[in-house]
Amino acid sequence: MPNIVVCFKWVIDEAYIRRGSSGELDFSSVSYKISDYDRNAIEEAVRLRNESGGRVAAVTVGSPEATKGLKDALSRGPDQAYFINDASFENIEPSQTSAILADVIGSKIEYDLIICGEGSSDLYTQQVGPRLAERLGIPCISFVLKLTIDGNHIIAERKVEDGVEVTAAPMPVLVTVLPDINTPRIPGVKDTLMASKKEVVNIAKDDLAQTYEPTLQTTAMTAASMERRCVKFGAEPGDIAGFVEALEKEGVLR
Amino acid sequence: MAGAWIIADNREQTLELLTIGRELATTMGTKLTALLWQDQELADDYISHGADEILLLPPLPEDQPPGAYIPVIADEAQKKDPDIILMASTVRGKEMAARIATRLNTGLCSNCIALNLGEDGKTVEMERLVFGGTAVQKVTCTVRPAMATIPLKTFEPAVKQEGRQGDIRELPAPAPSPVKILERKPRETEAKDISESRIVVCVGRGIEKEEDLALARKLAHALGGEIGCTRPISEENHWLPEELCIGISGISVKPDLYIGLGISGQVQHVTGIRDAKVICAVNTDENAPIFAAADYGIVGNLYDVVPKLIEAFKT
Repeated sequence: MPNIVVCFKWVIDEAYIRRGSSGELDFSSVSYKISDYDRNAIEEAVRLRNESGGRVAAVTVGSPEATKGLKDALSRGPDQAYFINDASFENIEPSQTSAILADVIGSKIEYDLIICGEGSSDLYTQQVGPRLAERLGIPCISFVLKLTIDGNHIIAERKVEDGVEVTAAPMPVLVTVLPDINTPRIPGVKDTLMASKKEVVNIAKDDLAQTYEPTLQTTAMTAASMERRCVKFGAEPGDIAGFVEALEKEGVLR
Repeated sequence: MAGAWIIADNREQTLELLTIGRELATTMGTKLTALLWQDQELADDYISHGADEILLLPPLPEDQPPGAYIPVIADEAQKKDPDIILMASTVRGKEMAARIATRLNTGLCSNCIALNLGEDGKTVEMERLVFGGTAVQKVTCTVRPAMATIPLKTFEPAVKQEGRQGDIRELPAPAPSPVKILERKPRETEAKDISESRIVVCVGRGIEKEEDLALARKLAHALGGEIGCTRPISEENHWLPEELCIGISGISVKPDLYIGLGISGQVQHVTGIRDAKVICAVNTDENAPIFAAADYGIVGNLYDVVPKLIEAFKT
């Protein structure tokens, strides 16, 4: 029965980010969510456990405020959670996140299969899964749309540019999953109540073997500019004519 | 030691990376090295397109993924200490880049859309989109080598120059990867590539039924363009193949004219059209975000507006 570890990130919901008057990002009214594709990762971990038995541990690295994310994650079916938290983990970059995850997973958690989302919906670097596999020295299969456990092997179909590759690797193995793999559940009230009874293991910065310095530095973060004319027309005949005339003047019609 | 390295799955991607690689190598006064493991005949071709050196990796058995090369590439990079490694931002390339970066204990700018040399002539300043395209993040690597993955079509392919000379070196064969490829299923649908189309009519959730796509097709036809769609249309409804899905997780288009029909304008989609010359939108909701991203908008029901547009464009 496989021990499954699923990694997730508690992120800013990008739909609530506003653009300030001088192009700066306004985070004043944001809310948080479990990163979109990490929901698929959790769903897949829980589906495989329900099929093959075993346990699912959900692991996240973040600031101590991310506790809501733990409850959300656990309400989706994992058996327990590991919360690696420190105020300094708020804005870490992928090499640090993967190193911290490897530190904890490698020393404290039994695993046969690790599942990550293909990328987080905030920074979308798509690095943490493959980096974590490399740190742990285990095989990695990324961008997976179908996953099966076959004895001590994982069979995974991965989507590549020229089609689908059916691949196999011996466990322990890490996979990153695409949103195509399943439809994540929407937790109900009962699931949320159950979640609060599940075990959460808190891990502090001091519990790690070492500190991990950043290798990538963010020098600026600005709103993406979309300078457009923003002319609006109605649907009356005169409007349609005005619209077509505008396009003719732009010289974009043949 | 120094140098700029480029690593890509195939010739098309390599030529694009040769363009930016050559520019960087020349400015930095260093050597441009291209890795090659597919068609070994391409070594001279890459040299004539700007490479100073080719590192040849021996072909892999049929069941081995290119990820098998990672230890060999990382070892060579440790020995030669390049300033920068650029890789194609493909499925295989992204995974390989993250794993090579881990072995080299360096930073990696994923999906890098712009890249410049800083004033010191050494620091590579890189840009990428974050928060679904809402924001631009600028990054630098604090350790050598700087690494980036670069999406397809970010740079023009390199131009061939006659008489260029270069060295070809062979790297050792890698140990087998524990990951084995059991089967390769080629892509089933061969949808048209609309990334270079001059006119694109795009459909979103405002289209009520699959049959109504005919209306969008008619408009595209009247304009001599192609149709595309947003993610829900390809992924949830399966009305159009995903090759036509425009957005941050799909394709990017840069037509002269883009017309969005029944599209709300989520940033994930709008990011895929940011390089369009003129953006138009038809939507019933005058507060739809698409109007803020459009040059010309029509507030109205697409079922009423589109037939009128088809009529107008015909004349």
